[in-house]
Amino acid sequence: MKKYLTLKNILIFVISLTIILFVYNDYFLYKTPILKINNIETTVEGYGSYNEKYYNQKITGVIKNGNLKGKIITVNNVTSTSGVNDEQIHKRSELFIKQSNNNIYSIIGVKRDKYIAILAVLFIDLIILVSGIQGVKTLLSLFVNIIISALAIFVFQSNADRLNLLLLYIFVSMIFIITSLFITNGNKTKTYSAIISSIVSLLVSFGLSYLIINIHGRDVTIWTMDYIEYVRDYENYFYVCILLSGLGAIMDISITISSSLNELIDKNFKITKKALLKSGREISKDIIGTMSNVMLYTCFTPIVPLAFLAIKNNMPLMRAINYYGEIELIIVLCSCISIVLAIPISLYISTYILKKYKKEVVK
Amino acid sequence: MIKLLSLIFLILLLIVGKKRGFKTFITFYLSIFLIMMYLTFMKTGLNAIFLAIIICLLATLVTLFILNGSNVKTKSSFISIVFVLLLVTIITVFIGNSANIQGFSLESIESIGYYSHDINYDMTNVIIGMYLICTIGTIIDTSISISSAMYEVHENNPQLNKKELFVSGMNVGKDILSTTINTLYFALISSFIGFFMWFYSVSFDFLSVSKSFDQNIIQLLLSFIASIMIIPITSYISSIMIMKNKK
Repeated sequence: MKKYLTLKNILIFVISLTIILFVYNDYFLYKTPILKINNIETTVEGYGSYNEKYYNQKITGVIKNGNLKGKIITVNNVTSTSGVNDEQIHKRSELFIKQSNNNIYSIIGVKRDKYIAILAVLFIDLIILVSGIQGVKTLLSLFVNIIISALAIFVFQSNADRLNLLLLYIFVSMIFIITSLFITNGNKTKTYSAIISSIVSLLVSFGLSYLIINIHGRDVTIWTMDYIEYVRDYENYFYVCILLSGLGAIMDISITISSSLNELIDKNFKITKKALLKSGREISKDIIGTMSNVMLYTCFTPIVPLAFLAIKNNMPLMRAINYYGEIELIIVLCSCISIVLAIPISLYISTYILKKYKKEVVK
Repeated sequence: MIKLLSLIFLILLLIVGKKRGFKTFITFYLSIFLIMMYLTFMKTGLNAIFLAIIICLLATLVTLFILNGSNVKTKSSFISIVFVLLLVTIITVFIGNSANIQGFSLESIESIGYYSHDINYDMTNVIIGMYLICTIGTIIDTSISISSAMYEVHENNPQLNKKELFVSGMNVGKDILSTTINTLYFALISSFIGFFMWFYSVSFDFLSVSKSFDQNIIQLLLSFIASIMIIPITSYISSIMIMKNKK
């Protein structure tokens, strides 16, 4: 037990607890008034079809911020057993409210930041405990990627008339590749070969997807995508989703291949190109299967709630999947195609670069 | 379109992966079939969280045993995945029930407008189940990579003891982790781009009340957490099972 009571771990624990406590009390950060609940009275309001019950919640609480701070008010909330489009409020929830008339208030949302903070802190602590300094690098690269993403959107939004969304994102993805691989792997030959392999794989596989979609004709309805009506260059938004979804997987494959070939050369500097390619092929066969499943489960499953609502409303299963899952499935398939293409591309590029530029390690 | 893309995917898989590639294709479509089964069984009124756990276990069985066969690597991965799945379920159920993440958000009200909302089925559980199935892909990926690598290490250095084997598993895990996090971030980022564009076109304070954004970010963080938790657990269980297998 003593092993875990180091200064570093105690420090991590104290900082985490402070962050969570802060977010639990961060009312002053918000302009919207926040209601802390004291009491909820629930009454049955009526019945819908299929035994659905509707309830009315009379919620009393005290406002925690703004110029109404300290005021005790009551709001009403209508909720149902299913909660398709409403929320059953618990006593420990906190609500964002809006003052419509003098003394009439309504709920506009639930404050969820504390739960997100718990998860985020858990994530950061776990990654540091399990992975140490490498974990800090991963967090740094994630942070840089988030900043770049935000900047890219900002640049696009302020120049939307002049910029092509797709071209902007092709440029941005190259920056993503360079920064993420550099931060996590450092200035080494294998990093350069992974960067070049990723960029080539990305361009080739995206080019192929673009070609297939255009040859086949764009008969997909992109209007089922989230927020599509708010995207200014919506024609290209679909392509940007395809471009970005597979990007992480491409980087994953090129760095895996480049690292393992690097290891092989380190162990035996005189290894031939042919032998390298052969071992590389064996390694990569193990990756394809599980990688394409990661893409499928991560990107395709989010259609479940909408498809479920549709089949509960008697839409046939296949039609619901086709309607709500088509775009997602196309995106997943395009990413899978780029995963498969990235393997031979990275193999050849890494073999060439590592063989040519890598210097022998002196033992 | 999907047929054409599937065909190209299959051809490329056969060229690059040969027999393994074909197995990958089969697993891919079996996984889609599993998600369809999930929807079908939910319609009959069974509990969504319970069903999601069953689907995750089936997905693990299908992916591990079709792609990698039945051996000590896949067995130790399977046991580790069961443990992690239980841990993730506990966290997800706690967050899901406290954070009011059920149902759809104001922004997507147009797309659900024509449906009746009287479905008599708890949407909180649907979302929790969705989160669980979303994370299973990355859990399987990380787990099998670690146990395979540990097996190789053991084959090449049979003199290593259990503790040293565990340490080598953790080292492999650390290497994989940063790329896994990257993969997940980019797989989910496209939904954030749309969100931020919407966010620019409405008032600024709306960030505080967007349920859809909260749902996405919770999904991302849960996948991250699951992919970290699987590392020590697989390393530990594989080190025990590989040593036992030797005797």
